[in-house]
Amino acid sequence: MRGMSQRKRFVRLLVAALAICLPQLAVAASEGQKQQAERQLTQPLNNAPVWRDVRAGEGNPYQTTQVRGIETNVLIQSEGEIWREIRNGPVTVYGGLFVLIIASIIGLFHWLRGPIKLRERPTGRWVKRFTDWERLVHWSTAISFLVLAVSGLVILFGKYIVLPVFGGSVFGYAVFSWLAAISKNLHNFVGPLFIVCASAMFVTYVKDNLWRSYDFRWLGNSGGMLWGEHVPSGKFNAGEKVWFWFGLFLLSIVLAVTGLILDFPNFGQGRATMQLVNVVHAIAAVIYMGVAMGHIYMGTVGVEGTYDSMRISGGDGSVDETWAKEHHEYWYKEVIASRGREAAPTGAAAQPQH
Amino acid sequence: MARMKFLADAERCIECNGCVTACKQEHDIPWGVNRRRVVTLNDGMPGEKSISVACMHCSDAPCMAVCPVDVFYKTSEGIVLHDKDLCIGCGYCFYACPFGAPQFPQDGAFGLRGKMDKCTFCAGGPEPDFSEAEFRKYGRNRIAEGKLPACAEMCSTKALLGGDGDVIADIYRSRAITRGRGSEVWGWGTAYGRPEKKPAAQPPGAKS
Repeated sequence: MRGMSQRKRFVRLLVAALAICLPQLAVAASEGQKQQAERQLTQPLNNAPVWRDVRAGEGNPYQTTQVRGIETNVLIQSEGEIWREIRNGPVTVYGGLFVLIIASIIGLFHWLRGPIKLRERPTGRWVKRFTDWERLVHWSTAISFLVLAVSGLVILFGKYIVLPVFGGSVFGYAVFSWLAAISKNLHNFVGPLFIVCASAMFVTYVKDNLWRSYDFRWLGNSGGMLWGEHVPSGKFNAGEKVWFWFGLFLLSIVLAVTGLILDFPNFGQGRATMQLVNVVHAIAAVIYMGVAMGHIYMGTVGVEGTYDSMRISGGDGSVDETWAKEHHEYWYKEVIASRGREAAPTGAAAQPQH
Repeated sequence: MARMKFLADAERCIECNGCVTACKQEHDIPWGVNRRRVVTLNDGMPGEKSISVACMHCSDAPCMAVCPVDVFYKTSEGIVLHDKDLCIGCGYCFYACPFGAPQFPQDGAFGLRGKMDKCTFCAGGPEPDFSEAEFRKYGRNRIAEGKLPACAEMCSTKALLGGDGDVIADIYRSRAITRGRGSEVWGWGTAYGRPEKKPAAQPPGAKS
């Protein structure tokens, strides 16, 4: 009993000595060090504060390793698990569903409503809508977008959709690996190209996409898409302007910034950055693809005569006057006014001008 | 069947980096790639601890889950291996791994990272055992030779244990008991509060 109490006294003395010494030793140390010193006073042998540092350490000069590299002095980076849960969970599942649902809605619209036809007969007179430069910029952006979309889909969903097609054979794995490697490299090199194209596109098209008061009316009537009433608009209607500002402008910026961070790991970005940025990139990309599908549908089979304006071959960027009048009436009137003649009544027989 | 594991005893590690060197030497690993590293917590402070870390061959491996081309596979002994021929070098395994185990020979612009390299538990890869291709891509296959990982075998203080999980857990448990301080190494003071007297030794065979 006597020995016991002596030892107790010794321990108390030691603790008191440590209480004096430790805070001084820990002056320059991390918060975890201070906590550890305090913890030893209340709960000797409880090293929890030390072990908390296991999951931290970035920028802590007292947590070291001889190995050079990104975050090599961090023992455990547990946020990777969160990233995994989000990427393999909602991003893959809901992202995939989102793309499929948008595609189905477009398909259903096409099936039920059908393509939007011209109400009156084409005049055969043509109005110049897009210059060579405008079409070149559009298609550079569009093609690089499609390359990015397809390669991105392979990287995100290929494991679940393409790889099982081969039935897990060695040959199948090799083929899919080639596909994925090509996709990854195309994605990484076409990405910066897309930024250049999209920037040129923004500069080229911005003046016609400024928001006007009549655009609200267009939106309110959903552009006459559903009930077929006529809603006038400028060179671009409100739907196109939303696509321009939300898609080409906002989503492009989000994807460009996050994409560049992912594409250039040579600046030593940490894992936490990459995880966050990867999720943002994937979500923005999936939304972009969904909206793009709508744009592609409307620009090709969805609206009769629209594709003429963007033709590279077999057209010079002109549209029929009937199309111009029915879809972009204000713009049509401007063009006609600038030509210095009255807007011709639609349906009137006229000589083809080209 | 054995379930292979690594166990790093922080009470024994002296940060000699022998495991790191043994690994690099055994597998002829190029500069910039480090399958194993030693991290020191509170370096130069009282209570400094060092731990050797590499691929921990997780049961539910995050790298395996996020890999877009499914290059990872698990041996019957629980060793997580990968097929470098299929790797596209996207870096996702590196983002997901909590231990920083996946390594890339480059971290170049445009995401050119090269093929991922990581600890194989000295078990090689999908190529035939002892083949030249296997050595070139994954290093020596010591498991096929009937040996344990070089890092653990070389550890001068036997701080790093590698092998059948049951066996190394028994070794570690006996150490913790004979140290007479219970499992304070892992912060068990929290569970039992401030000890009023010497904690009773755990009964042999109890799970720690």
